[in-house]
Amino acid sequence: MKIPNLSSDQIKKLVLSAMGFVFLLYVYFTFFLGPLQKSRDTTLARIDEMQKKIDGSKGEMSKAGNLERQAKDATARFASLKALIPDGAPIAWFPPRMKTFFAADQIDKASARLESNTSFKQAELSSWSKYNWIIELPQADFVALGKSIADLENAEPLLSITKLSVHVVTTDSQFQQVGIAATTVIEKR
Amino acid sequence: MALQLNLLHEEILEQRQRQRDPLKIGMLVLAGCGAILFLYYAWNAYRTLEIKTRLSHVTADWKKIEPEVTKAQKRATELTNIINATRVLDDYIDNRFFWGPFLEKLSRCVPPNAQLTNLEGVVLDEDKGGGISVTIDGSTAAREPRSAAEDLRQMLLEQLGKTYFDVKVEFKTLEDMETVANVGGTNVPMSHFTLGITFNSSKSKPAATPAPTRAKKRSSDENS
Repeated sequence: MKIPNLSSDQIKKLVLSAMGFVFLLYVYFTFFLGPLQKSRDTTLARIDEMQKKIDGSKGEMSKAGNLERQAKDATARFASLKALIPDGAPIAWFPPRMKTFFAADQIDKASARLESNTSFKQAELSSWSKYNWIIELPQADFVALGKSIADLENAEPLLSITKLSVHVVTTDSQFQQVGIAATTVIEKR
Repeated sequence: MALQLNLLHEEILEQRQRQRDPLKIGMLVLAGCGAILFLYYAWNAYRTLEIKTRLSHVTADWKKIEPEVTKAQKRATELTNIINATRVLDDYIDNRFFWGPFLEKLSRCVPPNAQLTNLEGVVLDEDKGGGISVTIDGSTAAREPRSAAEDLRQMLLEQLGKTYFDVKVEFKTLEDMETVANVGGTNVPMSHFTLGITFNSSKSKPAATPAPTRAKKRSSDENS
């Protein structure tokens, strides 16, 4: 290829043009194409993220649907357990309930008092509390007491007897003096 | 040979030089490159706009389903909590100790020549190894009152061992009393005893089951 003889003025112009071209390329890539590319990448990332959310949500919704079917028994049982607990403060309804319960088995003068109230250690039962009660039966026949305690344990699944003391009443050997420490599990309201 | 003179030589040369002007050529090349770069930019801008349109569609889709998803997530959390709480409550209910059957067994073990005067029963904490501890005070009246007390201990050991595990029935005290009892018109000596009973209501702890329903059902005869 024949290189034309260039004058110094032409070479100067040529160099200036080359420099201008390089500068133009720099401006083009840095200030035009660069932001465009960046914006496109950001948008693609957001689309990807959003798409993942949508895909995940579909799975989440089907999971919730499956869970709903699986949890039928648990929900019914949970509702039945909750139904055992009347509204209001436990101190208001538990002592009368015990009095009535034992009176039905001819054990009179039953009294119940609240000893303490604690929370569960298990995270699953964070909305439930343990109420520790002392139930006193000053006059109880042993056979009637046994039957009554068995009935109580069956009728109140959320009640657990932790301590039982039976003493002979010295004045009347037919009767016993009974103290029951019981714990009830009650939902916080 | 005839001499030819080109009088336009200089003009032609100047015209050629103008045509080959590097600046002009450079400008043309630059314009060409600029056009290509502009087209490339336009193409990129078009693609970016297209992607942004896609994003707005996806965002619109997400906005449509987001409330349902949030609702579903909330419900799933609620259901999981219910399942877990029910499982733990069922474990609690199933692991209770039933005093009714124990009292029934105890009453069947006491012979006519023995009398129980005091009973203290306690369900021990799981932290302290669990199990049940019962202390019984009583007295026996017979020709051999200590032997009658031992018979009671043996009976308790045998009968409780049928239902419970790791049963231990031990005398804490066994002493003769100075008083005598009149049984059927005969005066017989008496002894006072204190029995310590320990046992476990279950052999081993049942494993936590993920099933929401009650894993274990007690037989009706045990509870009644």
